[in-house]
Amino acid sequence: MRIRTSRERRILRFKTVTRWILYYVLILFSFALMTSGTFLKPVLLLPLALAISIGNDLMGSAFTGAFCGMLIDIACGRLFGYNAVLLTIFCVGISLAFDLYLRSRFINYLWVTAVVSYIQCWLDYTFYYGIWNYEDVELIYRNTTLKVWVYTVISSVFIYLLVKLINHFLMPRAHLTIEEAIKTTN
Amino acid sequence: MREFLKSTRFKVLAAFIAFLVGIMIYALTKGGYSLSGVSFINTITKPFRFVSNSVAMKVESIGDKLQNSDDYYEENQQLKKQIGELNKQLAGYDEMKTELEQLRKLVVIKDEHPDYVIPQPAEVLGYTANDPFHSFTIDRGYADDVKPYCPVATAEGLVGITIEVSEHSSLVRTILSPDLSVAVVCASTNADFGIIEGTVLSAANGNTKLSHLSLSNKVKKGDIMVTSGNSGLFPKGYAVGSVKEMGVEVNGLSACAEIEPCSDITRLSTVFVITDFNGKEERADADTNLP
Repeated sequence: MRIRTSRERRILRFKTVTRWILYYVLILFSFALMTSGTFLKPVLLLPLALAISIGNDLMGSAFTGAFCGMLIDIACGRLFGYNAVLLTIFCVGISLAFDLYLRSRFINYLWVTAVVSYIQCWLDYTFYYGIWNYEDVELIYRNTTLKVWVYTVISSVFIYLLVKLINHFLMPRAHLTIEEAIKTTN
Repeated sequence: MREFLKSTRFKVLAAFIAFLVGIMIYALTKGGYSLSGVSFINTITKPFRFVSNSVAMKVESIGDKLQNSDDYYEENQQLKKQIGELNKQLAGYDEMKTELEQLRKLVVIKDEHPDYVIPQPAEVLGYTANDPFHSFTIDRGYADDVKPYCPVATAEGLVGITIEVSEHSSLVRTILSPDLSVAVVCASTNADFGIIEGTVLSAANGNTKLSHLSLSNKVKKGDIMVTSGNSGLFPKGYAVGSVKEMGVEVNGLSACAEIEPCSDITRLSTVFVITDFNGKEERADADTNLP
């Protein structure tokens, strides 16, 4: 176990707090974008929650997923808590997947976001339009759901870059002790 | 001196001066028009004068800027400040004008329908993201006596109904939604009843659909459909939209029509919530579920 000096601990605390503040500023900014205008918009909060979950601890990811989900519910006029539950599950899953199986690479993030956002969009369409059998309901899937999904995947590129930038400067790097380094090389 | 006065030089000079005086007197008689010689000189020298004048003005201007830069800077700052104050006044004036227009509309509605209880006009906070039926949130909630299922309208016509009410905001479902049915009657015939209910197809064009209309109806293009007031949810006789296109349902049992709402539902900024009116049916769940 590596013993950290009090200065290192102070820097670590400062970086962590600043990082989370910036994450939440981004979240609120995305929410503001999602609630403005009448045109079709990407569900910005979804790729953002996923990007934050990668590389952060489980609890942080779960809380961020829940918070972003609630904001999506408000912005999209959905049952309060519906997207919160979905995103909590997705964020925890993705945090675990990237911790255990996947490398933190852009391509992994992109396909994961594409899959998750498609599931979210499809569930949204099914529960809010599909099962009610409205006349010409498939038009909503074609003209709204699919477009929103595509916009979301495209927007995820920029979101990833922003989160990556924050992480680059404020994510504490893992320091290895001499023993750990020796173990790793062996 | 005497020699000079007698000399040819003096005579030539005197003759020249006399010639000039003559020209002067002749010029006086021209009544404002220059002599042909002067015109010729002016024409020839015009480009030179233009260039020299431009150069002189530039030099003067530079000199002036250098000399009075402090004064100009101060004047500029004062003018900027003045513009800022005027812009602020203008913004306040615009806001006041909009408010006045809304209140005027409110007075018109109240004059036409004295039984309506309408709190202050409500601002549209924003449209629900990616909703094909354009539901939106307004800045009035139960703190302003707004309850679920209150009709929402503009001075032009009915817009929708409140479905989810918070303390200071409410979610409005529009007449473009298939989840909202409004019983209507044709204003001109006062006999042709139908139901306005949104469809996916018509909502994409910002319109809604009138269905369950009798095949023997006398409704024609351009007719205004008004609320019939049968349901107790909407006040009687409030305009909803005009008939854009008539048709027959697929089953052939009733007629239908494409309805263009009286106000453009996709671009609303201010609406009115009618909290009470004659014939309103109170829904028990609207009151009991208050937080």
